[in-house]
Amino acid sequence: MMWKSIVYKEWLKIRWFLIGYTLLGILGIGYLFLTVKHGFAFSGGKNIWNSILFMGHQFFSPLKYVPLLGGLTIAIAQYFPETVNKRIKLTFHLPLRENKALLMMHAFGAVSLLLSFLVFFGMFTGFSLLYFPVQMVTDSIISIFPWFLAGFSAYFLVALIVLEPAWKFRLFYSLVGGFFLTIYLNSPVTGAYDPANSGLFVLTAFLSIALLFSAYRFRKGEM
Amino acid sequence: MEKISRYLLVFIAILTLAIILPKLYWMAFEKPVRKPFILYSCINDDFMIHRISEKTWEDTQGKQYTREEYEQKLPMMFEKQLITSGSMPDSIKGIALDMRTISKAKSFFRLKASEIDAPVPGLYPLFESQSGRAKLDLPEDFFRITWRIDFIEAATNKVLEEKSQLFSAALFQNGFSFPAIKISGISTPRKSADEGYFIVDSKDQLFHLKMIKGNPYVKKIEVPEGLKFRHISCVDFKNKDFYAYLFSDKNVIYILTQDDYQLIKWPVEGFDASNCDLKIFGDLFNYTVVVEAEDHIKAIALNPDYQVVKTYTETWKLKEELTEGKIFALLFPAQVSMTSDNSKFIRFYFSLSEGFNWIFLNILLMAFHFLWLFRRKVKVKNHLTDLGIVAICGIFGFIAIHFFPNKFFD
Amino acid sequence: MNNVIECNNLTHYYGKKRVYENLNFHVSEGSILGLLGKNGTGKTTTINILNGFLQPRNGECLIFGENTQHLSPRTKARIGFLIEGHIQYSFMNIRQIEKFYSGFYPNWKPAPFWELMSKLNVTPTQKISTMSCGQRSQVALGLILAQDPDLLILDDFSMGLDPGYRRLFIDYLREYAKAENKTVFTTSHIIQDMERLIDDLLIIDFDGVLAQTSVNEFMGSFKRFDFVLKNDKTDLKKALFVENLDKVKNKVELYTYSSESIVKKYLDDNNIIVSNFAQVKMGLEDAFIGLTGKY
Repeated sequence: MMWKSIVYKEWLKIRWFLIGYTLLGILGIGYLFLTVKHGFAFSGGKNIWNSILFMGHQFFSPLKYVPLLGGLTIAIAQYFPETVNKRIKLTFHLPLRENKALLMMHAFGAVSLLLSFLVFFGMFTGFSLLYFPVQMVTDSIISIFPWFLAGFSAYFLVALIVLEPAWKFRLFYSLVGGFFLTIYLNSPVTGAYDPANSGLFVLTAFLSIALLFSAYRFRKGEM
Repeated sequence: MEKISRYLLVFIAILTLAIILPKLYWMAFEKPVRKPFILYSCINDDFMIHRISEKTWEDTQGKQYTREEYEQKLPMMFEKQLITSGSMPDSIKGIALDMRTISKAKSFFRLKASEIDAPVPGLYPLFESQSGRAKLDLPEDFFRITWRIDFIEAATNKVLEEKSQLFSAALFQNGFSFPAIKISGISTPRKSADEGYFIVDSKDQLFHLKMIKGNPYVKKIEVPEGLKFRHISCVDFKNKDFYAYLFSDKNVIYILTQDDYQLIKWPVEGFDASNCDLKIFGDLFNYTVVVEAEDHIKAIALNPDYQVVKTYTETWKLKEELTEGKIFALLFPAQVSMTSDNSKFIRFYFSLSEGFNWIFLNILLMAFHFLWLFRRKVKVKNHLTDLGIVAICGIFGFIAIHFFPNKFFD
Repeated sequence: MNNVIECNNLTHYYGKKRVYENLNFHVSEGSILGLLGKNGTGKTTTINILNGFLQPRNGECLIFGENTQHLSPRTKARIGFLIEGHIQYSFMNIRQIEKFYSGFYPNWKPAPFWELMSKLNVTPTQKISTMSCGQRSQVALGLILAQDPDLLILDDFSMGLDPGYRRLFIDYLREYAKAENKTVFTTSHIIQDMERLIDDLLIIDFDGVLAQTSVNEFMGSFKRFDFVLKNDKTDLKKALFVENLDKVKNKVELYTYSSESIVKKYLDDNNIIVSNFAQVKMGLEDAFIGLTGKY
């Protein structure tokens, strides 16, 4: 019952943002592949392939900041209302463990983001496979994977920052978080992130419980 | 849980700081290394050294030249300038010179370490080698070699079954062991002629694959036992002397002669493909092989029989050995970078600072943190891990534990 | 009687600024207690400690015998909490918020909530953020009543309410608390309201607890005497029975727990000549100001 209520509240907060973001993302990916289709029709498939394989063309590069934007949007939609008037106190007062309540909220947000990303990812892979062989699709996925991780990291970091009670520390977290996000967003050749992706995945997972730290500080009355 | 989340955050912060702070430091203090431009002179039988930023021209004895004198010492390089100024000799070492001969013998090759350690495309266009046309056309399909060779048509993204089977059979009959581990060729149609691809199979055998009038041409190339190739760079030189420069995993440079497939070892020492850039200038009289490492440059002159005529080495101090590098090693125990000059891959490139001078700052920061704790009258017992983090990670750890303070209640 | 709340040796500082040291008080079951104090004496600090939103530097608070820093979910379910300013999830409407909270409390009683809501001029799909302050206070109160907690902690419930809503809030709350034997711990900066609501009071000042007693006892024993001094240089502060003294030239307002006869005897014994001596009847607000001073 309790998790239903928590999910219900989180859903009320993020639903329009999540739906809006997902729809925009779907439109964006649709547009991306429209340009690919157009390129195939006007430049010819072999020239498109050639420019991707040997001239460093990255047809997917417009997607770079899309997951990051999603992480920021969902995190702000979800956690900003909790900090206005310190409303998060209401959550902490609910009859369940504070960390459990937070993790339920956080898991819901992360899963929502994941679903949205899976839609994008599925669309991207599906459309890509229409135009490109597996090797090229795999390399593209290696390149866009860290961008999706950056989306999750941004989500986790915003939760950490928003829940922090002291402005000074919000600034510190933002500094570290902002610089940290850049490691997902280098602009290398296609496929270059291959050796780094598993490490980045682990780092992203590390951040998933970051909000417990600032929420603890909030609960203990740090100012 | 809160404590775990803090340690994870401290870890993330240390990693981030170890990436950002050294990067900012070097952006502020690193001085560029200006590598000289070195060529072997067939006139002097010595290397000519051009220091671009200082605008000086000299030989290995330190004798200074004017720009014009310098160019006259390198008639194979600056032949157009010499002809313009009327100072081109008619013959050198008894060989009569004409523009055609000079230009046919000229070759330039350049390879960076980052081109070797880089993602590969995985799909390649196989050109028609004898199309009878003056220009090459980019084919409609691209091949990959997995359990067989597939040709995939770009317009439809479909495998061309017949062609794939034909070429797979040809490879198989020549003893090719699928899949390929290295495929190298010149993928652009802007080349003088097509020589197809050189392919290393899963048993480290070397093959030559071409398409001649739609049919496969496969040649297994004899290589010494146990030789493994780290990299193959196909070349398109006018003299058609060889197909490619080949680099073994032991950093030996080979050439593969055209038509008779002779693998010839070059007596070049001191090249390491993992961290050196290579430049090879060829002309009628010599090859100048220039190996550029981080702290030295080595030039090796070869005669047309590929024997060493002369070598020249110039070293300079690594940035780590300069004052700014020593200060760096005092401040930072290590550096992490996501990119490397020697690779196109993104990795967590970790490098420990030279020496152990950073220990002093670590101890200082640890003492400072200890005092800070002492003045706040907190139990030091609860902060031992933090002190340990500062002891090991130094300035990164110190900033990290203060950005994410250890303030927990029982 | 059992103590629902018990705070022992509570000490807190913000940085180097002391809020209070060794504060002790308790709230017994079934009583409605008002925490009174001027701004900055630590009312909000106390509420925050009680709800586990602040770790005191020293001492502890127990609610139903549990340390408020680690309240179990079971105990939290027994506490109804009204945040200062009647803060609720304002992105919800009343139907959504009732649905939300009902999932957490097994004893959820929607009837009192809807009864209170029916008195408001709001639609079920109206977002709380579009409601007036008074309406929001009723939503927050209704949710607490539906939760049916044993202890209600109300932080400055009168904030932002017009007199009508204040009256409505107080009357509804008192009737409910008395009928169901609920314990209430409340603060308000409008002390007139408290007089209608509370049984007991706890007055804190910068030095600690000034009074913890029932309202009746306090109002019966705390007195104000007005008189005019003949000699306006006379210093009365040395007298032990004086709790507070407000002196403008030779006009004196004297606050004390002692009786008229003791005051008069002191004046006589010390040859202090006064005129127009009279006891002045006080409301709770007057008494509070009398005890704590105007500044």
